[in-house]
Amino acid sequence: MLPLRLLSRDWRGGELALIATALILAVSCVTAIAHFSDRLTRAMHIQSQSFLAAKRVLQSSKEVPAEWLAKADELGLERAETVTFASMLSAGDEFQFASVKAVSDGYPLVGHLEMRPTTEAQSRETRQGPEPGKVWLEARLLPLMQLDIGDELQLGDSSFLIDGIIDHEPDRGANLFSMGARLMMNTDDLAATNILQPGSRVTYRYLLAGDDAALDRYLKWLKPKLTLHEHIIDLQQGQPRVAQALNRAERFLYLAASLAVLLASVAVGLAARRYGLRHANYVAVMKSLGAGKRKILTIYFGQMAALTLIATAVGLTIGSLVQSQAVNLLQGFFPVTPPPSSWQPLLVGIATGLACVIGFALPPLFRLAQTDPMQTLRQDWSNPDKREWFGLIPGPLSMLLLIWWLSGSLAITAALLTGLALLVAGSALVNRLLVRGRLAALGGSWRIALGSLQRRASFNTLLIAAFGTGLLAMLAMFYARTALIDEWKMQLPENAPNHFLMNIAPFELEQVKRKIADEKLEGTEFYPMVRGRLIAVNGTKVTEREQKDGSIRRELNLSWTDTLPADNKIVAGDWWNESNRDGVSVEVEVAARLGLEMGDVLRFSIGGLETEAPITSFRTLDWNSMRPNFFMLFAPGSLDNFPATYIQSFYLPPEDKLFVNELVKDFPSLSIIELDKIIDNIRETISQVAIAIESVLGLMLVAGVLVLIAGVRASIAERLQEAAVIRTLGGRRQLLVRSLMIEFGLIGIAAGLLAAAGTEASLAVLSQRVFDLPFNLHPGLWLLGPLAGALLVGTAGTLACRSAVSQPPLKVLRELA
Amino acid sequence: MSIMLKAEHLHHRVATSEGPLTLLNDISLQLPHGQSLAITGASGSGKSTLLGLLAGLDRPTEGRIWLANQEITAMDEEQRAELRARCVGFVFQTFQLLPGLTARENVMLPSELRGERNAGKRAEEFLDRVGLGHRLQHYPRQLSGGEQQRVALARAFCSIAPIDHSTSSSGSTTSNGILFADEPTGSLDAHNGEKVIDLLFNLNAETGTTLVLVTHEQRLAERCGAHLRMAAGEITTEELPGNLSEVSA
Repeated sequence: MLPLRLLSRDWRGGELALIATALILAVSCVTAIAHFSDRLTRAMHIQSQSFLAAKRVLQSSKEVPAEWLAKADELGLERAETVTFASMLSAGDEFQFASVKAVSDGYPLVGHLEMRPTTEAQSRETRQGPEPGKVWLEARLLPLMQLDIGDELQLGDSSFLIDGIIDHEPDRGANLFSMGARLMMNTDDLAATNILQPGSRVTYRYLLAGDDAALDRYLKWLKPKLTLHEHIIDLQQGQPRVAQALNRAERFLYLAASLAVLLASVAVGLAARRYGLRHANYVAVMKSLGAGKRKILTIYFGQMAALTLIATAVGLTIGSLVQSQAVNLLQGFFPVTPPPSSWQPLLVGIATGLACVIGFALPPLFRLAQTDPMQTLRQDWSNPDKREWFGLIPGPLSMLLLIWWLSGSLAITAALLTGLALLVAGSALVNRLLVRGRLAALGGSWRIALGSLQRRASFNTLLIAAFGTGLLAMLAMFYARTALIDEWKMQLPENAPNHFLMNIAPFELEQVKRKIADEKLEGTEFYPMVRGRLIAVNGTKVTEREQKDGSIRRELNLSWTDTLPADNKIVAGDWWNESNRDGVSVEVEVAARLGLEMGDVLRFSIGGLETEAPITSFRTLDWNSMRPNFFMLFAPGSLDNFPATYIQSFYLPPEDKLFVNELVKDFPSLSIIELDKIIDNIRETISQVAIAIESVLGLMLVAGVLVLIAGVRASIAERLQEAAVIRTLGGRRQLLVRSLMIEFGLIGIAAGLLAAAGTEASLAVLSQRVFDLPFNLHPGLWLLGPLAGALLVGTAGTLACRSAVSQPPLKVLRELA
Repeated sequence: MSIMLKAEHLHHRVATSEGPLTLLNDISLQLPHGQSLAITGASGSGKSTLLGLLAGLDRPTEGRIWLANQEITAMDEEQRAELRARCVGFVFQTFQLLPGLTARENVMLPSELRGERNAGKRAEEFLDRVGLGHRLQHYPRQLSGGEQQRVALARAFCSIAPIDHSTSSSGSTTSNGILFADEPTGSLDAHNGEKVIDLLFNLNAETGTTLVLVTHEQRLAERCGAHLRMAAGEITTEELPGNLSEVSA
């Protein structure tokens, strides 16, 4: 096999090593990122499922038919149940309202509980709730009821032994507005308490897990049978904030994999081009020895096929090892051990290898077979082959197809295409400006640097585009990551309100305000609130509109305020002013769903009485702000005739948790919604996602730097020769170092400038179409791009050429001969 | 004596940014088997272009060429390559050894391209004949200029397939092969140049190969049986020994 024999010889010569290194780099980078993303995505999903304590939840306000559960068993699904309701606990003379959760065996199906057998013990994880006859309590209930572990308490007709303290339950956020401290018991004890009677306000949650296909089959079977009382909850509905974070993180990881492909392709493209150029002489000699075009193609394609096989296998292995090491290193940061990867990342690696070879490595080989032996051997380049530019088409094309397949997102592909198009179009222009510039007048090293740029004008255009692509990938990743993490931080700031106070009676308002102020807690305003139902729009009943929006099927919280709440923005109409003191401001999305227009008159029924108000403005609001939010905000005084209570949210530091007990004792009618545990859960998940994103960014930066090195190496031989000649003619070392720094620095600045433009364009598309983030301009990018370009390319170039200035010129010339 | 190489009314023009440029103008020649021809002329006279056309590395704009009784101007590139693989050897001024291959591997290459099984043995034989039997595993960068050109000579003779050896009617050994040498001593000092030329002519005589030599050196041209002088793409002088009178166009 001649191709294989030549492959092994070529390898020794170092020519093929370059292209193999680029291929291995491409495959290993993409495989590592794809593996890493795959495992992280799956880990994040497992973690996110713990928010539901299951993969899916069937929630109902009454017990579901037994046949529904039998069907789940028949399909081999895992099943558990929880029943939650509010009830009064008693122990001696102490009474306390609590949020009771009865859990069956097997709960939780996903995630874990954390409990302590004694108040002093360390919290430990468990996959099983309390045994029959025993209960676990939230820590603050013990002092509130003057109880201790081992004491008994009464719930309905039964008494229970207090067996431990419940510190964490995965699905605490599932019932966001569960009020009161938690008591957890076993479902087996529920009947004996005689608490649940027909008409009791109870939430039954049937937790489901198991094989995804079986689960899908079950849900398909179940959905037509659901009534208004039952619905299926997945993460999107259960925890929209976490779901959104996960969606964005997943898209980020897809973007990372796509950009890794981009970087890898550039590395392979540069290496293949250099290989093709350096082999032109080989081919000319072989042709003179009687090798025809077919023979040349057989030899080189055979070599490339063998090389692709080997490099892909090595790349897949390295990529898999790197990701497994990365996961091991980050193990401590993940609450869930990332599950083993699927086979799909390997397929991605193989596809990358093939796409890089077909798109970038084969075109130079095709051209190699066209080598004119006479022209090549005589080094006569007076008639350059203009068809060379056609060879540049398959590379970007195959790369974009691969990115499309990999990301599954036309938006990501379009964003990168936009950025790249800008970059390539700008490269030629910037290079032309550089070459024509009058910088040569600045002196010796500038003259040498500019002369060098001029001589390689067309290759430099390619080099600027390649470096620019590398910088674009790094900058786009950096800015996308910053935007995502900033957005998350902004959504859940350190001191985000984590407790809601509701049902504050008007006569208690001042005392509650004082109590909060005395404790020096950060809180929102106190908003008055009445509950009412929207019954008519412009005199027409809303029955039809009710079908369109569930929010008006139930009673709405109506409020009024003089000051527009923080996070609310008026998007149409005016907020209250001197001339506008009557009406209602409506949240813009509900208005759109109900087809409401400015000036429409809304009629509400409040406690049997009716009131009307015209719409005077539409507002946007931030549901994630952890502040009281209202669909309908009235002008001050509009609802004075209706009995109101007040609502507020505040931030309570964990160490002051017992303050809740004081509030409960001082104001027994107050309802306190504790969101601190839910926020902790969300924050933990989001910080895990952020770590994943940071790690992938790190990998990308390494890949980007490797591309820069490949780019520098692609142009090094000629530069080495020139430098050696200049030194032979008496040029000083310092002069050469300066000229190399100027040359690579200018290329880097040009690449960085174009990368900034490309990144800005890509981010514009990405932020709006992929990450659902607001579009922002990034002024810092325009400084960071050229600066990073000058620094990275300038340093890499100068370092790569250092042998030319540090070694005796004769040695360099002889080695290059 | 049968004709190994024949050219009729060769013209060659190329397109340049300044318009078409005539490189060769109406060249005709012929060369019998086993004979040697020197082509001399100043730089840019068209001698290397003529050599490339005669060897089938390119096609003339006009005219016809026969090599080993086959009209190469009527062949496509693949057919010409096949013919070269069988009976053409090359020696270049700048040696053109492949830097990633050892001396042995460089010499093996033509035999390997023909798919021969004993490529290694044959390469070793030829390297031995040029006095480099002890440098088989050395890379070109480890060899001096003279040694590199000797490796190139070994490769050129190895290019000519052994199966095509035949015996002429006169009883002397002739080969169906032809060796094209483009300034073979151009990159060498006088001593090494002398050595390489001696080797070239000795091997040529031993193998009965036809030789076409492009050179600047009068001394070298004089060792050939025939001599053409070129200027501006045309033949200006022909020196033809008595028994080679048919070389003339």
